[in-house]
Amino acid sequence: MPDYVLTEEPLQFGEGGRLFGILTLPSMPPRNAQKLPVFVYLSAGLLHRVGPYRLHVCLARELAQMGFSSLRVDLAGRGDSPQRPGLTNGQSVAADFEEILGVLESRLGRLPLVLAGLCAGANAAISLTLQEPRVIGMVLLDPICFPDDGFRARTTVMKYTNPAEYIAWLKRGEYVAWLKRRFKALTRGEKQEDDDSADAVTFQDLPTREQLRAAFESIRGREGWVLSVFTRAALRHYNQAGQLARVLAVDGHQQFCTELFWPQAEHTFMLELHRRRLIEEIKTWAGNYIRP
Amino acid sequence: MIEAFFFGPSNQQVFAIYHPPAGGSGQVLTVICPPLFWEYMRTQLALRELAISLAERGQHVLRLDYRGTGDSFGDLGEVAISDWVEDIARAVREGRDLSGSSVVRLLGVRAGALLACRSAGASSDVQRLVLWDPVLDGAGYLQVLRRIQVAMLEHNLFLSRAERREAMHEYAGHRLSERMFEEFRLLDASAYSSVPKSKLHVVSTSPEAGFPVAGVPQDLTRFACNWENVSNLMMPKLVLERLSACLIMS
Repeated sequence: MPDYVLTEEPLQFGEGGRLFGILTLPSMPPRNAQKLPVFVYLSAGLLHRVGPYRLHVCLARELAQMGFSSLRVDLAGRGDSPQRPGLTNGQSVAADFEEILGVLESRLGRLPLVLAGLCAGANAAISLTLQEPRVIGMVLLDPICFPDDGFRARTTVMKYTNPAEYIAWLKRGEYVAWLKRRFKALTRGEKQEDDDSADAVTFQDLPTREQLRAAFESIRGREGWVLSVFTRAALRHYNQAGQLARVLAVDGHQQFCTELFWPQAEHTFMLELHRRRLIEEIKTWAGNYIRP
Repeated sequence: MIEAFFFGPSNQQVFAIYHPPAGGSGQVLTVICPPLFWEYMRTQLALRELAISLAERGQHVLRLDYRGTGDSFGDLGEVAISDWVEDIARAVREGRDLSGSSVVRLLGVRAGALLACRSAGASSDVQRLVLWDPVLDGAGYLQVLRRIQVAMLEHNLFLSRAERREAMHEYAGHRLSERMFEEFRLLDASAYSSVPKSKLHVVSTSPEAGFPVAGVPQDLTRFACNWENVSNLMMPKLVLERLSACLIMS
């Protein structure tokens, strides 16, 4: 579809045209178009290519104005791409990625890539970065992280020192239910539930700490950049700016990584003001690839 | 195999996906008018399943994204109800051209039901409108959007005062234009009453759900849709089966 600054093209590709995505191209490719990476947005959980609250669409179109091409894709089993029966999630994502590489190469040539994703999409980006040397950048929204030495202490402090939390708790009347639960637990001698226990995640493969570090080291080796953003949904495993850098201990982390902690933002960037801020951050970060 | 495309004037293009009927020939075209905002995200997968099921049963199906939503062009802050009503009319024309079908049915989901009825009105082009949990009127829906926003802000203890103030201008996570507010407020039950009763069929998931026009057939298929939940995707198989049956029956 034509626009003043960009065009968009629906693509059905891969074996039997099973994968669906939309390719966004700048109408006037910049002079260095052959060097600029293509952004690939990986599905956020089960959400389709549009992304949470249309994040992928807005990003693709704003980045096109800077000269970047993008592919927002439905991984198999999401949106308009049917499942791959008999494969694990990891195998399916890897097979999808082979086909994504194929279609991008046939349409645009062999260009470097930036992988972007939220949650499961971010974790898939980490795994795929390890497999594919063409990946020179990652935009990770709420990816996996691991606790550092001070994590538990910070969690406790945050839990018990935020007056707003008490006020909201009282306002919501949750204290009555809490007192009832405590009373029951005490009379039955039950142990209090661990609030920090993680939910079971079945539709994604979580990278290990070694894989996470290796992905970051790969990007450093390829002279690329990484942007990581953690929202309040990450509080179970991330609670301080700089934690990821400490956990990974990758040499030169600050030179190629931007790490943001936005506890005020929801996991899916529900508020428009946060989406707008995120898009501006990503555009600024993407400027790394344009600067000489 | 689906066919995805953009249609409409170059600066207002609408994205649509066409599902051809199994076997290649079908008499009926169903255009799916999705819900709005977070409900659009929650139902995307379910409405795709429904489209596949209808196509397997011999219907042409067209799914569209209204301007400023999904993959269509435009920003939400630039569009309003009248644009979306026009998008549905254009999608019907596009679907008829594509399929060669003269029998058109619309499925309207939530606020999409209001839009579908406003678009079809008394037009003879549309033979039947099936409405899934129709929103009763635009003003009430704005209140729901506001309620969701307030709940979202109440539960977020990390927002600064400035952010909280700014976010109060949003409705369920979206900034809406003045034109959108005005047109939402004007979108009342007359959208439903302008359609001949004989063309309407309502599928509700809650026994409390009302419909402003008396004498319209209303099926109850219990499912905890909880439309004010903003996060979980839904796949209400029984509701989809019921909708499919309503859209298939001759």
